[in-house]
Amino acid sequence: MQIGFYFDQSRCTGCYACVIACRDWHDIKDTSIELRKIIPLEQGKYPDVKLSYISLSCNHCKTPACKEACPVEAISKRDENGIMVVDQNVCLGKDRCKMFCKEACPYDAPQFGETENSKMQLCTLCTDRLAENKNPVCVDACPMRAFDFGPIDELKKKYGEIKEVPGFVHSKQTEPSIIFKPRY
Amino acid sequence: MSKNLEKTIISSCPHDCGGRCVLKVHVKNNTITKIETDDGEGTQLRACARGRAYRQRVYSPDRLKYPMKRTGERGEGKFKRISWDEALEKVSSELIRIKETYAPEAILNISYSGNTGTFLHNQLSLFRLLTMFGGFTPIWGSASFWGSLFSSETTFGTVTAGHTGDDIPNAKYIIMWGWNPAETVQKTNTAHYLSQAKEKGIKIVSIDPRFTDSAAAFANQWIPIRPGTDTAMIIAMAYVMIIENLHDKKFLEKYTTGFDKFEAYVLGTDDKQPKTPAWAETITGVKAETIEKIARQYAGNKPSKILTLGAPGRTAFGEQFHRSLSTLSAMTGNIGVSGGEPAAFGLPAVGLQPSAGTGLIARQMTGNLPEGARQRPALHITKLWDAILKGKEGGYPADIKMAYITNGNPVNQFMNSNKAVEALKKLETIVVHEQFMTPTAKYADILLPVNTQFERNDIIRPWQGGPYCIYMNKIIDSLYESKSDLEICTGLAKKLGLSGYNELTEDEWLRDFWEAAKDMTDSKPLPDYDTFKKEGVFKIKTDKPVIAFEKEIKDPENNPFPTASGKIEIYSEKLKERNTPDLPPIPMYIEPWEGKNDPLTKKYPLQLVSTHSKRRIHSNMDNMPWLNSLEPHVIWINSTDAEARGIVNGDNALVFNDRGKISIKVKVTERIIPGVVSLGQGAWYSPDKKGIDRGGCANVLLKDEHSPAGAFCSNTCLVEIEKGED
Repeated sequence: MQIGFYFDQSRCTGCYACVIACRDWHDIKDTSIELRKIIPLEQGKYPDVKLSYISLSCNHCKTPACKEACPVEAISKRDENGIMVVDQNVCLGKDRCKMFCKEACPYDAPQFGETENSKMQLCTLCTDRLAENKNPVCVDACPMRAFDFGPIDELKKKYGEIKEVPGFVHSKQTEPSIIFKPRY
Repeated sequence: MSKNLEKTIISSCPHDCGGRCVLKVHVKNNTITKIETDDGEGTQLRACARGRAYRQRVYSPDRLKYPMKRTGERGEGKFKRISWDEALEKVSSELIRIKETYAPEAILNISYSGNTGTFLHNQLSLFRLLTMFGGFTPIWGSASFWGSLFSSETTFGTVTAGHTGDDIPNAKYIIMWGWNPAETVQKTNTAHYLSQAKEKGIKIVSIDPRFTDSAAAFANQWIPIRPGTDTAMIIAMAYVMIIENLHDKKFLEKYTTGFDKFEAYVLGTDDKQPKTPAWAETITGVKAETIEKIARQYAGNKPSKILTLGAPGRTAFGEQFHRSLSTLSAMTGNIGVSGGEPAAFGLPAVGLQPSAGTGLIARQMTGNLPEGARQRPALHITKLWDAILKGKEGGYPADIKMAYITNGNPVNQFMNSNKAVEALKKLETIVVHEQFMTPTAKYADILLPVNTQFERNDIIRPWQGGPYCIYMNKIIDSLYESKSDLEICTGLAKKLGLSGYNELTEDEWLRDFWEAAKDMTDSKPLPDYDTFKKEGVFKIKTDKPVIAFEKEIKDPENNPFPTASGKIEIYSEKLKERNTPDLPPIPMYIEPWEGKNDPLTKKYPLQLVSTHSKRRIHSNMDNMPWLNSLEPHVIWINSTDAEARGIVNGDNALVFNDRGKISIKVKVTERIIPGVVSLGQGAWYSPDKKGIDRGGCANVLLKDEHSPAGAFCSNTCLVEIEKGED
């Protein structure tokens, strides 16, 4: 089984509540670490303009490129739900490794931060909250109710199979576990 | 329960956004560990990024920790720690000295809206103290929505003139007029209801100089308009309705006064200038045919809503915007019906009304005080600096010698920051209560540290109304040596020998307020105080949206509007009698100063709008890394204006006029009308040695002037911009 996200981009106002909720819940002080990020996209010429946002974390890909790229096998994928896990005791750190995982990921999901030889961090899908039958903190934070979350096959049944929005290309190689409702 | 176990406690955010959301705070060992939001029953009151980041504010290394006295020059930010006793002794002796040497009104109380909607902890602590002490010069006005307040009172006789947000999806057509709730929040869940309307297929139009987040998320159509000219478009829409016979004459006859006079103005009967769409096009920049279409769509898709709050009214003659907008809603009979909207001040008649908030507190906190003590002439918030500099000789009611500042950052948030600094340097004494070393705090002689809402108990209501209120439970002990404003003023009252200032505990005050509030709402039953405190959130169950003026429309005989005429006053006899220049009895378009026809455009050709940033609440939280890392503070400029100046995206630029100069990075964008630049207000004023503000504070550029009715004209300003140094 593979857990994933549905993101209703038509609702997203780019308010960053999900990003801050993530930083607070996971106590991430280093603002260069973006376990979840907002990607704004402005298109067109005045006055025919378009603006959309994508809220993105690790997509917990079906065939993760980061896992393959890691020279010390610090990255694994849980059998029961497909969540990506990084073992920070094994990860070499950004100064001793060339951050192959970050380079391999089509979505820049692996995060290292600014401190010396910091280890890779990844969206955990709030595994601690899942254990208490709660949604990931970003999902419950969204003032626009733009997220849904669960087994990706069920999400596809419920919302369809739109895999791309402008600014996000579905990697056929890694198969990210996210589907969308586009704004445009 | 063991103290070491993590538990969750309900609180909220007290700042001035108009929303009120639930913060579910995790605490362990007297330390806040995490913040979640509403996960309860009913429509959840989910917090924005600012509320979610609050832990970083509470534990910021920059929190003011101890009472301090100034050691360097004013503005230098050099201070020395002193004891609370020394601080209170110094403040009380200065209060006495100023009062005895000059007069009570030499003390200017600049206490504003840093905490808003709170029952106990707000600007009224100092208000009560100084009133008991013998009076002071108060301030009046609002930097937010004075034009709207004034217009609602004038036109409808009340500010309780809005629907609840859940009525938004009941409209058939919606105009968001200079209104961007996706960033300003305005009321919790407003954006959520707009997305429901969009998903229902309701047509939504955004009229705004900027293509905002709200326009992008909800609108089918964006109509860019020049700032300060909205009233001309509204009046031209009225023209179209009159000419094409689209207006509801029966409604106008039955429920309004003076439509004939407005009609004569619109048609140009007296001034020979029919207010046609072509006339409006030259003023607004909106094509005549677009104005015609919007007029037809708004009139032809009843019920239809025009939603706005303050921005287009924060202009030179801002009250005319609100007065004409409400006239448009009356012309289409969109008042008193679900899906319509009076396009007035948006308080819905549900929950605890203002009388139960500020008014109740004012009564309780200032009750049994001599009436005369409260009757001193007030200074408008845009005129504080001028009044300090010029005093009675300049026609102001007092010679100010001392400023006492709580719950605000006026150097930053009131117009003309450079003049503010000049004025504050002239004073004999400045006392500030603060949580951080803000641009205003740097000018204090005595600086007193205030705690946050998580360090005290309070009750809060959404100040723009809503079917709920929140108990803000105390979560941790006050950090360092910080105290609440009430505790500080209680200490001062003792030093001043004032008995009876505060004989109640925090809990007794709140219990008392809650009991009194029960009589001030139709929303019953309210839970008892202890249940409310324990549960934290009280949501009033409503089976349908709350509609303004429903009974006035259904049964006008028995329910007149609370105006002098008992009707919606398109023509106001009160304004006629007031006889103030540029405050006509009917809504009119009046050419603004610093608009596109001002000769000053030769020197300063760009109009500046100062907007709200999604990563701070006015100037609150500009110093939180979690938030200020989200987006850079930039000035928006259209690509054609940038190109003409040789500016590219990301350049440093100087933005200036005769009032000041700021240095800021540029965002070149297609999301703004040419001829206009946009700057998020609230960034912290930080002048360098040459006097250039490196913080990018909008008020450095704004003219310290208000509209005839008292609106804060923060969207009436001319500037020029040039490429700066890298």
